[in-house]
Amino acid sequence: MDVTMPLVEARGVSKGFFGNPVLKAVDIALYPGRVHALLGENGAGKSTLINLLSGALRPDGGTILMDGRPVTKLTPQGARAAGVAVVQQELSLAAELSIAENIGLGATPRRFGLIDYRALRDRAAAVSALVGLTEPLDMPVGDLPLGRRQMVEIAKALFRRPRVLILDEPTSSLSAHEAGVLSGLVRTLAAGGVAVLYISHRLNEVQALCDHVTVLKDGMVTADRSLADVSAEGLVRLMVGRDPGDAFPAFAPATAGEELIRVDGFSAGAVRDVTFSARAGEIIGIGGLIGQGQEDFLLGLYGAIPATASKAEICGVGHLLASVAAATAAGLAYVPADRKKEGLVLTHAISANLLLPSLGRLMRRGLRDRTGEASLVADLARQFSIRGDTDRFVQALSGGNQQKVALAKWLPLAPRVLLLNDPTRGVDVGTKREIYLMLRAFADAGKLIVLLSSDTPELVHLCDRVVVFRQGRVVATLAHDKASEEAIVGAAMGLGIEGVAA
Amino acid sequence: MKAASITRILFRNPPLLTLALVALVWIVAGATLRGFGAVGHLRYILELSAIIGIVAAGQTLVILVGGIDLSVGAVITVTAILLPLISPDWDSTGIVGVVVTLAVAAVIGLGNGMGQVYLSVPAIIMTLAMATFLQGLLVLIAGGSAVSVTNEAVIWLGSARPFGVPASIVVWILVAVAVLIIIHRLPFGARLLALGANPLTARLSGVNVNRTTLAVYALAGLFSGVAGLLVLGMNRQGYVGIGDPYLMTSIAAVVLGGTSILGGRGSYAGTIPGAILLVTTTALITVVNASPGWRSIMFGSLILALLLISGREAQR
Repeated sequence: MDVTMPLVEARGVSKGFFGNPVLKAVDIALYPGRVHALLGENGAGKSTLINLLSGALRPDGGTILMDGRPVTKLTPQGARAAGVAVVQQELSLAAELSIAENIGLGATPRRFGLIDYRALRDRAAAVSALVGLTEPLDMPVGDLPLGRRQMVEIAKALFRRPRVLILDEPTSSLSAHEAGVLSGLVRTLAAGGVAVLYISHRLNEVQALCDHVTVLKDGMVTADRSLADVSAEGLVRLMVGRDPGDAFPAFAPATAGEELIRVDGFSAGAVRDVTFSARAGEIIGIGGLIGQGQEDFLLGLYGAIPATASKAEICGVGHLLASVAAATAAGLAYVPADRKKEGLVLTHAISANLLLPSLGRLMRRGLRDRTGEASLVADLARQFSIRGDTDRFVQALSGGNQQKVALAKWLPLAPRVLLLNDPTRGVDVGTKREIYLMLRAFADAGKLIVLLSSDTPELVHLCDRVVVFRQGRVVATLAHDKASEEAIVGAAMGLGIEGVAA
Repeated sequence: MKAASITRILFRNPPLLTLALVALVWIVAGATLRGFGAVGHLRYILELSAIIGIVAAGQTLVILVGGIDLSVGAVITVTAILLPLISPDWDSTGIVGVVVTLAVAAVIGLGNGMGQVYLSVPAIIMTLAMATFLQGLLVLIAGGSAVSVTNEAVIWLGSARPFGVPASIVVWILVAVAVLIIIHRLPFGARLLALGANPLTARLSGVNVNRTTLAVYALAGLFSGVAGLLVLGMNRQGYVGIGDPYLMTSIAAVVLGGTSILGGRGSYAGTIPGAILLVTTTALITVVNASPGWRSIMFGSLILALLLISGREAQR
């Protein structure tokens, strides 16, 4: 394979921000027809490297080569012209524009200087078919669920007929089915001579799909090798220098306590007629394809969207909770999937975020007790190992640490039920493990944890029971010993699996 | 401390920057212009600043929560016309009239909040509609004529000088202390900042969005009402349009003080020097006998300049 020339290559590139080196003399070469994995924990420098390869940033040192020729001043336009397309982790779609317009944005076919909508439609339809987008092309992107938007983003990259395709965590918001479509697509592209750079936190995906891997740790390349003879455990070792065998804490069956949630005929948003019950000390997994009502189920229980039930008892309250305030008062806490938009106030201090739910609890003579608040913040930061000055904006933290803040802020209320919506999405391996350990500890301390996750292994390894949603209904409830990845994915896809008690 | 680090601190702290600018203008103008630095003149500047500062107290809360109140001028006019009409003759102190008028002002503010909470009308539309509605109502009630005030309490507010300090400044100090406590020392203040910065997160964190919004707009109405009473006390007459100059100046004072117009960030600590800076600029234009056109040009330039200086730095 090395006889061909890399389409894009970085030689000894380094980059720093405000004096902090983020990349140190990094080499990477993307060859045509090869699917190249880029691995590393959050903050290892993956995003910065992508930005250098796509011209969004200029390296402080080293060279970028396109087709073997050094390019001194690579611009985003230059990179695009050379055939580099990037699918960013943060979606860059215009919600008001249609699917077709978004796909063609910036590269719209023109006729007489006007947008040629017919050509746009035809070509957009072609790439949409490739990625399995079946929605009408004139539908505004804002009406699509997150996972489908991700597919639009990928279609948008394909629209430009890239020679080099960079995918930054493309599957983090995709369902298992969509991820499968994407894998097939990546293989087809590679077979057609496209160089693919694939960034993901999901190691089994990387193993199944990629030929070659570059591992970054603290801004340096720690491995650059073929993936042929590396196991998933080996990959984690390369990334963290730690054995992955204990990524999940040992499973301990719940000593089922008091029943905290019982709903019959529960409907909310996309959820239809669900019966569900859970006890203190349990970890209950919520699985299924993306957007089958799982999120609405949590939000409905939490009083954040209107819900109905024929019978309900939640934390001793004999009816559904009508508002978030009522839910938090009853002992529920909700950690949203989109922590930047829903879980945190990014432009406020870490301390302000940590105090938000418990405001009004620490008072002295009718005013906020500054001393008490400061020691509470310090306690939480220590307990969750959130390091550094808590007066910094929460924006300044890495994804994993942001997630810890989003979780930690509820602790002062001593919630009895934690509703967690994909708490490890976009979180690095090290922090994931910390979060798993916390969940285990919470459950052992008698809290009920309802864990909605798009990462099936989490459901398999952490949960006492896994409830699988499909089209707003519960299609399977799998006990721990029956909850294999195959059983969960099978139920999610609507396949009848033996031994599944619905 | 090195000069570089002083400018750095100033640029990072909008309230301090605005305050420094006020001090600079006062010192330079006081030394070079005859009459500007006289105690009486400076006291007069503060007296006028008090009214803008009190209106801007409500405006600060509203802007912090992510909204805007375009009805403050109309509420001032309403209070200035309503008070003389409703103050009962049997109450020689005038306090009954004051209380009732302030209650009306707060209810108008509450109405602004209700339109947003229950009808989902955006703040800018709701308060604009409210202002237009009130102006129409006033024309019907008062016609074109001015009403004179005989209410003792209001006359006292407009003219008394306990210990040599004008009553309006005393009222401003009370309002300022109250608003600073609300923003920085009460849970309500922290909730309204969170709501202004990210409504969705605030809601999912248990902030009662409806109640917070209602309270903020009711407070804005109340503070406009207080300012209206002071304006009336100073003028001794209420007429349609008396509150108009205070709408834009209240927003300008908030923005000059470094509060983000997008909500969620800022403090009344900046609005205070912001209000003084606005009045000082006006006084300066008057003292040097320049055209009032220059006043508006200066306001516009000042707002842009301060926003660019401190806004750019704060983004880091």
